[in-house]
Amino acid sequence: MSSLPPGFRIERDTNTEEFFINMGPQHPSTHGALRLALRMDGETIVELVPHFGYIHRGMEKQAESMSYLQYIALSDRQDYLTAIQNNLGVVIALEKGMGIGVPEKAEYIRVMLSELGRIASHMVFFACFGGDLGGQTCLLYGFKEREMVHDILEEVTGSRLTTNFFRPGGSRYDVPDTFIPRVKAFLDHMEDTMKDYERFLSKNIVVLERSRGIGVLSKEDAIAYGCSGPVLRASGVNFDVRRNNPYSIYDQFDFEVPVTYNGDCYDRYTVRIAEIHESMKILRQCVEEFPKDGPWRAKEKPVRLPVGRYYSEIETAKGLYATYVVAATTGDKPYRIHTRGPSFPHIAALNKMVQGYKISDLVTILATLDPVIPEIDR
Amino acid sequence: MGIVNFAPKILDPIPGGKYVVNAIDYVVNWARANSIWPLTYGTSCCAIEMMSSSMARYDIARFGSEVFRASPRQADLFILAGTITRRMAPAIQMLWEQIPGPKYAIAMGACTISGGPFIYDNYAVVRGAQNIIPIDVFVPGCPPRPEALFHGLLTLRDKILHETCRDPWHEGEPKDVSTMDRYREAANTWAALERMKDEEMAEARAKFKEENPDYKSSFKPVRVKKEEFPEIPRAAKAPVGMKQVEIFKKLQSKFDTVTYHTHSEDPLEEVVANLPADMPLEVMVGREQYLPVVEFLKNDPDFKMDYLIDVTAIDYDDHFDLVTQLRSIELGHKIFLCVQIKKDFSIDESERPTSLLGKIESISHLYPAAEFKEREVYDMFGIDFIGHPDLRRIFLDKDFVGFPLRKDFTHPEMIRRPV
Repeated sequence: MSSLPPGFRIERDTNTEEFFINMGPQHPSTHGALRLALRMDGETIVELVPHFGYIHRGMEKQAESMSYLQYIALSDRQDYLTAIQNNLGVVIALEKGMGIGVPEKAEYIRVMLSELGRIASHMVFFACFGGDLGGQTCLLYGFKEREMVHDILEEVTGSRLTTNFFRPGGSRYDVPDTFIPRVKAFLDHMEDTMKDYERFLSKNIVVLERSRGIGVLSKEDAIAYGCSGPVLRASGVNFDVRRNNPYSIYDQFDFEVPVTYNGDCYDRYTVRIAEIHESMKILRQCVEEFPKDGPWRAKEKPVRLPVGRYYSEIETAKGLYATYVVAATTGDKPYRIHTRGPSFPHIAALNKMVQGYKISDLVTILATLDPVIPEIDR
Repeated sequence: MGIVNFAPKILDPIPGGKYVVNAIDYVVNWARANSIWPLTYGTSCCAIEMMSSSMARYDIARFGSEVFRASPRQADLFILAGTITRRMAPAIQMLWEQIPGPKYAIAMGACTISGGPFIYDNYAVVRGAQNIIPIDVFVPGCPPRPEALFHGLLTLRDKILHETCRDPWHEGEPKDVSTMDRYREAANTWAALERMKDEEMAEARAKFKEENPDYKSSFKPVRVKKEEFPEIPRAAKAPVGMKQVEIFKKLQSKFDTVTYHTHSEDPLEEVVANLPADMPLEVMVGREQYLPVVEFLKNDPDFKMDYLIDVTAIDYDDHFDLVTQLRSIELGHKIFLCVQIKKDFSIDESERPTSLLGKIESISHLYPAAEFKEREVYDMFGIDFIGHPDLRRIFLDKDFVGFPLRKDFTHPEMIRRPV
């Protein structure tokens, strides 16, 4: 953008006509079944209208006839990149209703698996961001370390992606003995690999030219549109649920919340890379203080919630994930469950971000928002 | 491959011609089966496993399918990764028609086989991809592991290897064709060539070093001037905000009709003490006061509720509860507003399921985030938002009948979950 000398572009006073471009629902860089209608002036985007619903699966209607435990499995399928964290969000809401506590070891398991999930999700971001900018090699690199996280998740939960692991009062199983050594080995490996990754992309001239000053979202807009997570923090807002409303045992760990102030694509990238480092910092503390003995779940109780409304919010890799449970009768079935996913407001703010940029910048901007469409449509 | 399909007609009558046709089959199938190019398409969880299968560890390139094509015109294989909804189905059919034949489809995951976890009480999901397009291979799992996808791919490869141009494209007599030996032969030759090249290069390097012992490369990579990147600033401690009792009392001093519960005489302190940890108080606001209260909360310097978490609704027999969740990023407190919207029972009973039953002022001019959230509530519950700039359906088709999250919603395709 800024590197072009003045007078490089010839300003012509010609009559131009606006036209429409349809992008999606099948498009490699919309990250799923998202459709964007673009109003273009030449190659410049004048307006963007997102169309949702191509993967609307009616989860909230279905939840009304499911038991609470069955809904935990559905929450996996919302934001499948952070399935383990979605489980945590639902389970915390149920625990508030049931009024049961969680033993220390279970809390450690929760925090560790959540942070591993965060790293895995950010690795996908790294891969897709590089891939969308044209660097197909990034895809291979990003998914390389992610498989190590999947190995750990598979060993602990029995599933690679849709974990369905946490339960009110703890989790389904205890962790195996190999869990801590594996996490340790993963962290040691990751520490070195992150240096490679940053050398690979962070100061790459193509990345810098295509992401700095692109898709700027101001602090006021980020708050007004309800953005959260790395997108909000890249716009200079210090907000992280782990710090502002600590859930589980996040208040016991020493970690920092990275905040950058430009609000452009490059800042959203650096915030996520910094978050991987912070997650690793939390995991290191967990590995050292992991309680060897003690119960790994509270005494098992039937999941029945008294009449009332329960709310939980957690910080997934994408942002603020809130679960709102309405129990109209005491029993094992909800009257209504509503999920507030982080990606929905991000796509709502997309129109604000892309106006005036080129269509190739839209791909960069969309990649740095890191949306997961099934979680928008539910 | 149109010409190939004519080969049996010409060659079979000629003595010995069928051996030529068999040879043509062998070559064509060998080529087709070992370069199945999939289409880049994925809607949900299975797409991630499909991506994993093409990446470093699993490496779909071993089977000749690493070339994921973004355009259906260049693809041979349609991996249906992820749930198919009624809204997506026409797009899938269009994609299928755009793929030139011979083309194949793999239904990946439980959703595309039968609807998977979304069979019961669901109005949006197509129960099985075979209802839309012909499927060659079904891969079960939720989501299937990459190995399972490979098994599906190899099954498809077997199917292609058994094809013949006498009965083109999909049907044919089973035939035992093994290409593995040729594979190994090719791999061995290739490896021998690579070894030869390495040896030659090493020889050349050694020779060069001998001849020029003082040689030093003058090559310098062209780099842009290294910039110093500032350290990412770290956040300070988070603010806590007002207590729930304080919030409510302050709000009540301004709007005296707000209450904290619909029908409870409990004292406020007791209600707040009984709330689960970190659960905000739900403040009941009258229908007329909704907009002024939200406006006040947003602009008052004591509250500064600048962040809209969510707008959602709950359907009861005679009213909707509209729940607006607000938070102050700067000060750290949050509040839930609950508005009862009485259902409009003056509408004829037969028209109630398809008509808007409630009305409330929109807050989208205060919070841009509310625009899409209110569209969702409109789409799911049929609540009218007065003053909304663009009130359309958001998740469902514009000709969809009814509002799904109402309790009395029915849909012809919905199967009740057996109790």
